[in-house]
This record gives sequence, structure tokens and C-alpha cells, in this order.
Amino acid sequence: METSDLKHHYSQQFNSELEDIRSRVLGMGGLVESQLGTAISALTRGESDSAEAVVTNDSKVNAFDLEIDQRCTTILALRQPTASDLRLVLAVFKTTADLERIGDEAKRVASMVIRVVGDDHENSLLGPIVHLGERVQQMLHNALDAFARMDLEAAINVVDEDINIDREYENVVRQSTTRMQEDPSSIPEILDMIWAARGLERIGDRCCNISEYIIYFVTGKDVRHDSLEQIKKELGS
Amino acid sequence: MLVAWGAGAILDQVYLFLLLALLAYIFRNLYNLRRLAIWLGNPQFADIPVHFGLWGDIYSKVARVSLRQAQREKRLAELVNEYTASTSALPDGAVALDASGRIRWFNDAASRLLGLQPAKDIGQPLLNLFRNPEMANFVNNPDYARMLQVSAPGDGERKLEVRLAPYGDDQTLLLAQDITERLQHERMRKDFVANVSHELRTPLTVIGGFIENLQMDESLQIDSLTRPLELMAQQTARMGRIVEDLLLLARLESDSVRNLNDRVDIGELIRNVADECQALTDDVPAIDCEVASTRRVLGDGKQLRSVVTNLVVNAINHTSAEQRVDLRWFDQGAQSLLEVRDNGEGIAPEHLPRLTERFYRVDAGRSRDRGGTGLGLAIVKHILHHHDAKLEIHSRLQEGSRFICRFSSSRLVD
Repeated sequence: METSDLKHHYSQQFNSELEDIRSRVLGMGGLVESQLGTAISALTRGESDSAEAVVTNDSKVNAFDLEIDQRCTTILALRQPTASDLRLVLAVFKTTADLERIGDEAKRVASMVIRVVGDDHENSLLGPIVHLGERVQQMLHNALDAFARMDLEAAINVVDEDINIDREYENVVRQSTTRMQEDPSSIPEILDMIWAARGLERIGDRCCNISEYIIYFVTGKDVRHDSLEQIKKELGS
Repeated sequence: MLVAWGAGAILDQVYLFLLLALLAYIFRNLYNLRRLAIWLGNPQFADIPVHFGLWGDIYSKVARVSLRQAQREKRLAELVNEYTASTSALPDGAVALDASGRIRWFNDAASRLLGLQPAKDIGQPLLNLFRNPEMANFVNNPDYARMLQVSAPGDGERKLEVRLAPYGDDQTLLLAQDITERLQHERMRKDFVANVSHELRTPLTVIGGFIENLQMDESLQIDSLTRPLELMAQQTARMGRIVEDLLLLARLESDSVRNLNDRVDIGELIRNVADECQALTDDVPAIDCEVASTRRVLGDGKQLRSVVTNLVVNAINHTSAEQRVDLRWFDQGAQSLLEVRDNGEGIAPEHLPRLTERFYRVDAGRSRDRGGTGLGLAIVKHILHHHDAKLEIHSRLQEGSRFICRFSSSRLVD
């Protein structure tokens, strides 16, 4: 979608309100991106200081969530938007919810760093988890870029990428099981790490959700719960 | 017309002939007008259909104007092409933003560094794509003197230095430079200094210890050995101090140790340091303390002590026993100032800007004799920087020097 699309209203005020929620949800996305980035680099380097910063900053993400919800509600109530305006408000509304959950997962990873990594920095499971985390980070970035540009193709690519994320996650789980069999005393710690990996994998799913909202906004088609092939067929590509 | 009238007069049909001639004239003009309209579609000198009379004149003048126009357009296009080509060749990313922060234009480097898509992203608010929260804060509260170091969007490994410059009506130019390599070099340099200093510490301790043993050894009390051993002990101690200072600087630079929560009583601190310095040797100048402020500084007590010691020792080293050193702690509005003033030899103005550089010496031979490491003021500057304070140096030759540490209100408590 061209940004000029948002300028089609006679009411200048309405235009700027729509622009505003879009910019805000992307601002929130930026914060969540940096939260996830900090959590992953804390994991890589075993820095509990920056991990603690992630935990404290989560309240900022929540504040964004409340603020954007409030604004969306106001627009729905006062403007009664239709067609693409309505789809934009709904897409923003749902994206905000997903971003808030992604923020929670980043916090989960950070608290795992505080609990586990401090004393066991050389853990062999860290490598695969960090790798998974970096891929998820890139995926979130691409999903938000697609949202900014309302780029259908980029959104479909994000959904495509989720298969790889799932594969990496399975890899982490497989290695964890082996480790647990070898050394049962490490089970509590490894469980913690599996939770973190699970959190990262969930972020991948939420990025897919965001992409589906983009598809919904651009085409008006609801492709949730469809497989990738179905989505592609439905969009005729 | 005259011919028509003549012909009409002969044939006795004057009006008919005049009418015919007039009609012919009108048709010719209409025909020429139509040709002009067609020709104006692509006005070329070579295609001019008429070369004489009024019409010829019109054609050639219009052709000349349009030629000039075409030349000007070509020059302008060349200029624009040149400009675009030169900005594309810039290694730094440049993005032009309008008053509401939308992208108006960007160069190739910007699309590479910031991940912008040519043409597609024109008109998009930059912050929608460059979503880093620090960046949002930076663009929304522009400070044109500041530079922001920030990770490139979508590539956490790449670091950018971003700055803003205002231009035109409410427009902003954003410049982004890739500083990944520079930061790497800086880190390597710091690591190197820290590692070298660390590696030197142990051998120096061993050497110093053995020299001390040798000096104590009764069987070695030979005149020819006393002086060399004394010098060795002195130099080893000095090198030890340099290593310690370098390590302190490395720690200060690494930013990792920041415990700035002590409530430091600067008044008490300067009295202690003054007492210690006077107790140390006899030939020190008189040191006076004046404490006019009751404010305390939120900071690291040890580091601030090192600031005061460094400044006082410097002052003592550059004054003779008859001269004086004054320490003052006082308020100036919301700020509080620590002043170390002496009436010693002073510093020539050309040295002032470089005083806080590492190993910079005004008079190399002399300060080394006094046991200085050449790192004192560098350390002072770093510590003050950590405490959001500034170091000001005023000095005149033969009149003395004033070193002022200016603490801002954010670090002061009553």
C-alpha cells in the first residue's frame, strides 16, 4: 500500500490518526525488536546486566500495548471506519497484541539468562539456541518491514521462513534430550533452556500472524489457519 | 491589393477582385497558422516551412527560443545527473526527510546501510523502517551537534553513526556512517593496552621485590652498588605506577565498572587529601581548603578521590615551597565547583588544549623527575566524564593555574 492511500480522506484529522497508529505500532515493534536483540546478545555473552534491563523494560512494551489499544478503540468509536480503513485498524489492533506477547517471550529468554547462564557460560546448548534466536530476530525484522511497506510478497516470505524456525527448534529439543540422558543432574537447567527455545519458536509463529494481518489488510482475505500452499493458492501467486 | 484594384479597374470589376484578393490573403494566413501549429509540435530549424516575410520571422524567432530552452533543459538534466551520481558515490548514507519525518530522497549507500528500497520507500516515515527506540528518540528530539551510535536496522553486527543536519524549510538531512570497523579497531587498541599492562605487572613486581632484597642485603653494601640499585628501585616503582594508571584508564574506558551510588563529601575529601600531601614531605607549599558548599556528589568515592589527589599533586609539583595551593568546594547556581588553584609557574596557552592527552608533557624532563606518569589528567578527565562533570583549565604563565571540576545538578544531592 502506498502511504498516499492514507491521504484519501477529506478529514485531515482522520488521516493523521490512521498514520499515527501505524507509526506507533511500528515504534512498538522497534522496541520489541531491540528487547529481543538485547536478550539474545545477553544470551550469547552471558551478560546478566543487560538481561535484567530487558526484564525491566518490558513494562514499556506493555505501556505501548495499552496506548495503541486505546487509540484504536477511539478511532473505531468516533470514525466508524469502513473497508481498508477498518482493515488497517484491525490489523494494527491484532499486531499490537502479538508484539506484546513477543515482548513477553523476550523477557522469558532474558530471565533464563539471569538464572542459568551466569554460572554455566560454556553450555553446549547455547550455540543452537543463539542461532535460533538470531533467525527469529531477522524474521521479526522482516515482518515489521513488510508491515511498514504493506508488502504482500515480503509477508509471504516471512510465513515461508517459519518452516526453518520449526526445524531449528526441533534440533534444539533433540540435543537437549540427549544431554538430559547423558547428565540427569543438568535437567532443571536444560528445561529452562527448552522453555527459552520454545519462546523463540513461538515468536516465529507470531511473526507469521503479523504477516497474515498484512495479507488481510492488503487483499481483504483472511488466511489465518491456512497452510502456506493454501495461502499462495488463494492469493493466486 | 494594388494589383487587384488595377486588374479590377481594367475589367470594371474592382470589388470582386478586391474580395478575391482578400480571401486569398486570409486563406494564406490561416494555412500558415495551421502549419505553425503543426511545426510547434516539434520546432526544429531544419523543418521551418517558410523563410521570408512576417511568417518566416515568427518561425525563426520561435525556433531560437525553443533551442535556447532545450539547451537549458539539457544543462539542468546534466547537472541533476551529476549531482545524483556524486551523492550515489558517497560512502556515507544520506536521507532527506521532510518536516514530518517522511523520506523524500536517499542515496545508494543509505539503501545499503539502512535497508531502504529505492522508489518504494519514498514518502514512508523513516522511523517506520528504522525502528530502533534510540533512533526514534534522536530524530524526534533533534540535537544537531550530537551523533548517535546505533545498530543498523536488521543487522545487529553493523554499527552506524548517525547525525542530523537541518536544511531548507523544516527539512532534515540524515547522514549515516558505517563505523563497525572503526569500533573494532578502537576495541583492539584498548584491549591491547590493557593486556600489555596486565602482562607487565607481574614481572615488575618480581623485579621490584628482588631489588628491594638486594638493597637490604648486608653483604652488598658496596658504594658502587648503592646508587644503581636506588635508581633501579625508583624507575621500577615509576613503571609500576604507569602500569597501574594504564590499567585504571582501561577500566574507566571499558565502562563496565560503574558504581556511582556513593554520596561523596567533597569537602571532607579535599581536607583529607590536603593533610596527606602536607604530611608526605616538608618542602610542599601551603595548602588551604575552603568548603563553602554542603552538597554531596553521587558517584564513586575512590574515583573522585583519585581526581582530587591527581589535581593536588600536579599543583604541588608545579609550585615551590614558598608559594601556595588553594582548594575550594562551592556552589554556582545549580552546579557545584571544585577548584584547585595555585600561584606557581603556570602553563603556556599552546599547551592547554592538549593537557589531558596521555603522556603529554609540558616539560618532559621535569615532571618525570617528580614521579609523574603523564596519565594523571587523562584519568581525571575520564572520571569526571563518568560523573557528568567537566574539567576546565585556566592558566597564565608566572601567575598560576586554576583547575575547575564543574559538577552538574543531576549528580548533586543536599
